Amino acid sequence: MTDVIVSESNSGSSNLFQIDDNWKKLTGKGVSVAIIDSGIDVEHPDLHGKIKESVEAQRENKRIVFEPSETGDSAGHGTACAGIIAKIAPDAQLHSVKVLGAGGIGDGQTFLAGLEYSIKKRYRVINLSLGTTKPQFFAPLHDLLDRAYQAGCIVVAAANNLPQPSFPSVFSSSLISVIKSAETDPYNFGFHYGEIIELTAPGVNVRTPWLGKGYRNLTGNSFACPHIAGIIALLLEAYPDLTPFQVKSALYAIAKENQENPARQTNI
Amino acid sequence: MSATNENNLQIKLQSLIETIDVANVLTEPITNSIENLLRISAAAMNSEEASVLIRDGDQGDLRFLSAIGKVAGKILNLKVPAGKGIAGFVLSSGQPMAVANVGDESFFYDEVDKSTGYSTQTILATPLRYNDEIIGVLEYVNRIGDPPFEPFTPAEMDSAALFAEAISTLVHAYGSTKLFQELDNKIIKNKNETDYTEVRRWLETLRDSAEHREMMDLAILLREVSSRGDGERQLCRELLESILRFSDTKTETSLLSF
Repeated sequence: MTDVIVSESNSGSSNLFQIDDNWKKLTGKGVSVAIIDSGIDVEHPDLHGKIKESVEAQRENKRIVFEPSETGDSAGHGTACAGIIAKIAPDAQLHSVKVLGAGGIGDGQTFLAGLEYSIKKRYRVINLSLGTTKPQFFAPLHDLLDRAYQAGCIVVAAANNLPQPSFPSVFSSSLISVIKSAETDPYNFGFHYGEIIELTAPGVNVRTPWLGKGYRNLTGNSFACPHIAGIIALLLEAYPDLTPFQVKSALYAIAKENQENPARQTNI
Repeated sequence: MSATNENNLQIKLQSLIETIDVANVLTEPITNSIENLLRISAAAMNSEEASVLIRDGDQGDLRFLSAIGKVAGKILNLKVPAGKGIAGFVLSSGQPMAVANVGDESFFYDEVDKSTGYSTQTILATPLRYNDEIIGVLEYVNRIGDPPFEPFTPAEMDSAALFAEAISTLVHAYGSTKLFQELDNKIIKNKNETDYTEVRRWLETLRDSAEHREMMDLAILLREVSSRGDGERQLCRELLESILRFSDTKTETSLLSF
């Protein structure tokens, strides 16, 4: 049973979904979220005890395999993304899938392997605050994203802010792509149907955990993406059976409501 | 011309080429243009320092190729190890990033600041791409005037991406020119033992079109075969002429296609 109500509309302009605000009070408990990135500093006070698993890419002959990782975060980026998710969904199970700076490798192939690993593990939410513009990865990424969609994994990807399109953020059907806005309230995200990158979320001067138990104020689409990953973790706790399609529709409905009724905005 | 005269001319030519500053004569106009673009873009970005880092080797290390600002002279050729610093991350992730308060916390890859005596407080880093490959990083550091500095804005991040597009074309040209310059040096110094592996590696990075790449590869192959000796050169010519004669007999489509 799900509480998401599909309402018939005669006017053609009302919400497809009506969701009460109870999900905002949840914590993402029991929802697995993979962060495919530079690793996570598990000792950071904001993340202590929240990282269920840390693996990192290793090259074994010609294959890329994932082994338990104790190397933490090599750049700070993964820690920042994890911190944003943990702030919104403090009880979500975070899984660090290290593909950048792992064992001296960090190419597109490793990135793809990380995504495949996360789909095989069927993590409910997969945060991809990175991408590639190499055309040779277009087809394999498209295939992986379709597999994620069919497996019920919700992939959230950051756009790249650059003149060239980056993959997978430009694949609109099989994933949720995010671009930064100057908004500070994570619940007050936007949805721009018809745009290549559909969602906007806070990504300007976001205070995030960083290496050395520190914090940074960061700007970039990389930091907008985990806001939406966190929101999805809450929605999935409230409505565990939501499919990727339904999650996207729910985000659309909530964003529309935000736009029409700004008084609903909440600060955390 | 007698053989002795020919030899003398060759020796003179060789020493003449060696006296020219071959290390810089080809690349200098390109690095000057990069520097000019850095200067113009830094003014537009209201930034005090700007620099271009390029890949150094195959392992993701970076090296400062060009810089403008107070510590530009000290920063040139400094290296940033793979994955270190904001530039290292931008190179490996392909995501641009701005950090407002770099100096606030204990952890920061501060080797560059230590070497230059400079204090990085706010930074914007964006990848340099050429033909879908990330070939380096463009950085803008601090603001013109006195601290505290305003963080870089999203609009400036978009502008930086456009500057990066212009600069990356020059950085790519710099890489190609440097390679040919180095090959030229090797040929002058050791003309009988040319190593073609570097040329092949460079060709692999060319992604203009598959056909173009194949043509270039064929040209390199011909050059390599020709360099082996008169016999090889003659055999190669005869083989190619045979292929042409065979192909000429087929008017419509090539029978060699399958």
